[in-house]
Amino acid sequence: MLDIQKIKADFPIFAHHPELVYLDNAATSHKPQAVLDTLLNFYSSDNSNVHRGIYELSERASQAYEAARARVAEFIGAATSQEIVFTKGTTDSLNLIAQSYALSKLQKGDEVLVTDFEHHSNLLPWRVVCQQTGALLKVLHSQTDGQISQSEWQNQLSSKTKIVAIAHASNVLGMINDIKQIAKLTHQAGALLVVDGAQAVPHLAVNVQDLDCDFYVFSGHKMLGPMGIGVLYAKQDILEEMPPYQVGGGMIESVTSEEVIYDVVPNKFEAGTPNVAGAIALASAMDYLREIGMDEIRAHEISLSKHLLTGLSSIKSVKLLGDAVAVQRSGLVSFFVDGVHAHDLSDYLAKQQIALRAGFHCAMPLHQDRACPATLRASYYLYNQLSDIDSLLVNLQKAIAYYG
Amino acid sequence: MDELRRSELMEIYKDPSHKGKLFNPSISLQKQHIFCGDNLHLFLQIENNIIKQAKFDGEMCFVSLVSADLVLEQIIGQTVQQARSFNQEKLLALIDLNLSTSRIACATLIMKALHEALDNYSQR
Repeated sequence: MLDIQKIKADFPIFAHHPELVYLDNAATSHKPQAVLDTLLNFYSSDNSNVHRGIYELSERASQAYEAARARVAEFIGAATSQEIVFTKGTTDSLNLIAQSYALSKLQKGDEVLVTDFEHHSNLLPWRVVCQQTGALLKVLHSQTDGQISQSEWQNQLSSKTKIVAIAHASNVLGMINDIKQIAKLTHQAGALLVVDGAQAVPHLAVNVQDLDCDFYVFSGHKMLGPMGIGVLYAKQDILEEMPPYQVGGGMIESVTSEEVIYDVVPNKFEAGTPNVAGAIALASAMDYLREIGMDEIRAHEISLSKHLLTGLSSIKSVKLLGDAVAVQRSGLVSFFVDGVHAHDLSDYLAKQQIALRAGFHCAMPLHQDRACPATLRASYYLYNQLSDIDSLLVNLQKAIAYYG
Repeated sequence: MDELRRSELMEIYKDPSHKGKLFNPSISLQKQHIFCGDNLHLFLQIENNIIKQAKFDGEMCFVSLVSADLVLEQIIGQTVQQARSFNQEKLLALIDLNLSTSRIACATLIMKALHEALDNYSQR
């Protein structure tokens, strides 16, 4: 059992907003004091650029940056820290894979497979690179619970498939996908698997070697870290084959007027001054999560999901988007209310200090396919309590009565 | 104050005067709110440069619906030019609610539809 009061005390946002019921963690999480201290300490006492100077401060910053890379590698079970590229976030990581790996490999006649529940950032980079190369982008259609049926896989996956890109956990339907099984299917077809872990890494223990995915990406800000730092994991042999994404300083071994020799991985993919403070603070967020325990957090979120699903099922006009049960979910539920607009509901809830997301959650095609209006999404994390869910349920019923 | 105004507007929300369709409009136009998918269908009946009749239809939130009803109430009987000069400032004064930036976009859906419809009409 988590001691929520103790955890909450680590997050200054709740001291500034004691009444806040924050249920928008799938959009971004709050930051514990330890992470904020790390940022401030870096800029106050260790600030300097990395991989450049030979003076003490610069060496200290470089060491801290590389130590952060090693801690990230350990957190997600990568074989070596060379497999970790720091990026701006999930979107940046996915664009990097599309514009470096995919652009150099895809040809006319090749196929890329995505699902119908992807976030726009795991859809649009593939659409663009398919337009650039003449490859075909195909969409796997999910069942109501968000699972892709065996026959859908068989129909869509073939020797033409070169890349399969899928969310580890859906940011709308909430279900966790069986990545290990999907990696097997993908590799049997001779394709590579790209996994969007933005909604998974903050909530579950992830081991990329166990999953056997080829690429795995996520953002720091959804897992207690700062905004503007994210991770691209790729198997080392794949990463070494890939051409640089952006070019400039910090990623070359030598430049003459005739030729350029690029630095080794992962530096080859980190052109320009990286977000050093962000990387170090992300590692400190991971330390914080590890200390609480990822399994403890997971168990806590399952109990919140159960409570919310039970409560919502007793309100007649509420319809769920995706019918995954609590243990299949990563810590969020999306729903809508027959006859009352999602924006009106969230407006009403906002006045009671309940923050949740209303809209399409960057997944417009999914809402279209399921003929569904804008939805509300409640997403929770380690600092949420059962009373937060109760407060949502009580006020939701009041809002429905008000507008109904 | 906001609560009082909200309950006044609730009367409009539950029984809007100008919701429905016109079967032979001079011009009609559909406008989607990209943020939430709300779809507003606007119908105008214009004779001798005067807006004789106006209706709106579609699935909308409280703010969009109430705004649409209030705006149409204003412009019926006006000339095309008078209606075209209806702007955000006038709209917000009419609604008289404390709206957040994202909800202002809900309110202005009708105004954008109206401007586009009148521009299309004038260009014919």
